[in-house]
Amino acid sequence: MKTRIDSVDDVTQSFARQGYICDQRTALAVYLAAQLHKPVLVEGPPGVGKTELAKAAAGFLEAPLIRLQCYEGLDESRALYEWKYGKQLLYTQLLRDKLSGVLADTESLEQSMHRLGDLGDAFYSETFLEPRPLLRALRAEEPVVLLIDEIDKADQEFEAFLLELLSDFQISIPEMGTVRARHQPLVFLTSNDQRELSDALKRRCLHLYIPYPDAALEQRILAERVPELDAELREQLVDFIQYLREQDMKKLPAVSESLDWARALVLLHADSLEPELVEQTLTLVLKNEQDAELARDLLPHWFRRRGAP
Amino acid sequence: MAARRLHEFVRALRGAGVRVSPVEAEEAFRAAALLGYHPRDRFRETLALTLVKSQAERPDFDACFEAFFHFEDADADGSDGDSSDPVPAAPSAEEGGGEGLEPAAAALAAQDPSRLDQTLAEAAARIDFTAMQVITQQGLYARRLLMNMGMGAVDDEILRLDASPRGADQRRAEQLRDWRSQVRERALAHVRRQFELHGRAHGRALREHTLRAAPFRELREFQQVQELVRRLARRLARSHQRRQKKARRGALDARRTLASSLRYNAVPVELHWRQRRRLKAKVLVVCDVSSSVRDAARFLLQFLYAMTDVLPRVRSFAFAARFDEVTEDFDRYAPEVAVGRILDRVSGSGTDYGTMFQELEARCRGEIDRQTTVIILGDARNNDLPAGERHLADIARRARQVFWLNPEPPSRWNSGDAIMARYQPYCRAARRCASLNDLSRFTDELLRRLD
Repeated sequence: MKTRIDSVDDVTQSFARQGYICDQRTALAVYLAAQLHKPVLVEGPPGVGKTELAKAAAGFLEAPLIRLQCYEGLDESRALYEWKYGKQLLYTQLLRDKLSGVLADTESLEQSMHRLGDLGDAFYSETFLEPRPLLRALRAEEPVVLLIDEIDKADQEFEAFLLELLSDFQISIPEMGTVRARHQPLVFLTSNDQRELSDALKRRCLHLYIPYPDAALEQRILAERVPELDAELREQLVDFIQYLREQDMKKLPAVSESLDWARALVLLHADSLEPELVEQTLTLVLKNEQDAELARDLLPHWFRRRGAP
Repeated sequence: MAARRLHEFVRALRGAGVRVSPVEAEEAFRAAALLGYHPRDRFRETLALTLVKSQAERPDFDACFEAFFHFEDADADGSDGDSSDPVPAAPSAEEGGGEGLEPAAAALAAQDPSRLDQTLAEAAARIDFTAMQVITQQGLYARRLLMNMGMGAVDDEILRLDASPRGADQRRAEQLRDWRSQVRERALAHVRRQFELHGRAHGRALREHTLRAAPFRELREFQQVQELVRRLARRLARSHQRRQKKARRGALDARRTLASSLRYNAVPVELHWRQRRRLKAKVLVVCDVSSSVRDAARFLLQFLYAMTDVLPRVRSFAFAARFDEVTEDFDRYAPEVAVGRILDRVSGSGTDYGTMFQELEARCRGEIDRQTTVIILGDARNNDLPAGERHLADIARRARQVFWLNPEPPSRWNSGDAIMARYQPYCRAARRCASLNDLSRFTDELLRRLD
């Protein structure tokens, strides 16, 4: 992992090299997070590149990315660690003879128990431990970037459990003792605002809100990711998308949608947006039928606006 | 910029309603120390990243930042849209006329506008504006600010020149006095801004306290009430959300535990728990929106709809002259707008509770069941029409519970044409609801009794 980060520009440039175009605020957040060793809570509408940010940060720091996808009902055994019960049982079965051998010369029940007690720890050792993403991040040999995706989908209890991890970077496994992070991971949490996160969690994080990009930034993103797209068409496309975002829609088109659309237009060898073409490809941008309907109604208006500069 | 400036900024932020913990403030200082204070944009974003914890707080933060770091901006680009104009240097003494000023005073008077603002900013940094509490203290603080700038020396010079018999000296004194009053304007403007930032914070907590106890009728005037209602509702929703989750794990699910234990040689390795049935509470709200009760209705509906997290299924009805469902209006529009639309539709005089219950029953017959809580908000003033309590009795029998909220004090529940006594037997509880405090207390009770 890169240990020295010279400046915020350093971050921006590295991101740009990886094809992740962001505004200064985002780069600043990554820089501060790395310098202050604070987790970053990334919020924003879906599809603006919250998850991508963590990947870009991992690329920038030359660190592996460990990802934990949250969902309702996610618990410690899925997120942190689990014992390999099956393997434990299998081993006890296979080692039955060996065990009776060990216990053969004991006279009383108590003595056997005592001897078993000495062996007991063997079944709760490294061999039988199944580390899940959080534990993997803590025990990694080199610093890692840990992405906790869609934390708002997890239950409140899990959030409380994360707090402990995020403040001390250590957890305790009853059978093995405390595991302390060898290297403090750089943590990104993303949220789509499905539910309000607790104040305690927010307090521990830097808060970054990624909005839909403005026209200039979106053009840069498209130019970077879909270079085959004609510059003039790109300008038109971005203008149309930005226009759609001003409308009252159920699901606004995000950057990922503009990228899909741009790629489709390249495949179709389009060289300018025509009403017919837009109507045919609109479903790539608007996934909701009502929204698409509305957009179709608005099309003439937009073309008129474009026509009269 | 000293750490004290940042401390003051954090206090100003808290005054503006942004919650900042000491730890967060500490982080912000570290971040600022790391990145410096220039360029201004980056400085602002640095503070925002560390201090702002939700996008909703961002506008408050930005406004506060602009107001607070006003001077730091002014020296960057000269003009700043301030109410008082930049003050040019005092005109220098006439050719050959009069003796020169005492050096300290001369140096101050000769400063060009941007240099003078700098001096003002430096002087201001030495004053603790956070102690300012009432608006009348502004003069005092402005004077202290001027003295910090070294205006004392100029004052002495003015007095000395005034006393001089020479005409040139007296004209000079006049010029200086004029210049001084311009500078004072400028200082006063700065103090006013500081008051906006800090003085208000002191009043805020007090005002909120008063607002919560004030009758609804008087609340309409206040803009910040919207915000307060939203905050109260969210706080309440949050506390209940936690409780709801905790109560969800039920008893051991023996069947599933046994089934899964087969994989492990009949050792019950994984324990399975029954999940309690998820809360499926339905809430029906019926609001009287005749002029006497309208304000309370507005706040009640606003409150309930601010809690969609814990109250997912609220249907609301309004009645005055007519009776109609208003769920859609509140789903689609902001409360102020929704109330306007509803009033257009149903307003009129002559509330008739009997007919209302009849219509409610007719409309929601299938809907009202053991999961349904019915809330009625009204003063039970029935204009001497038939009470029709048997319809309410019918509703109450089928519903889980009926609550009645009355904006009037209990002593008047049965005076005049009010007939609470006829309806009350069918209600699980009847409460007075005349202020935000009442409302939030009731909602708390409601949420507790839903499961």
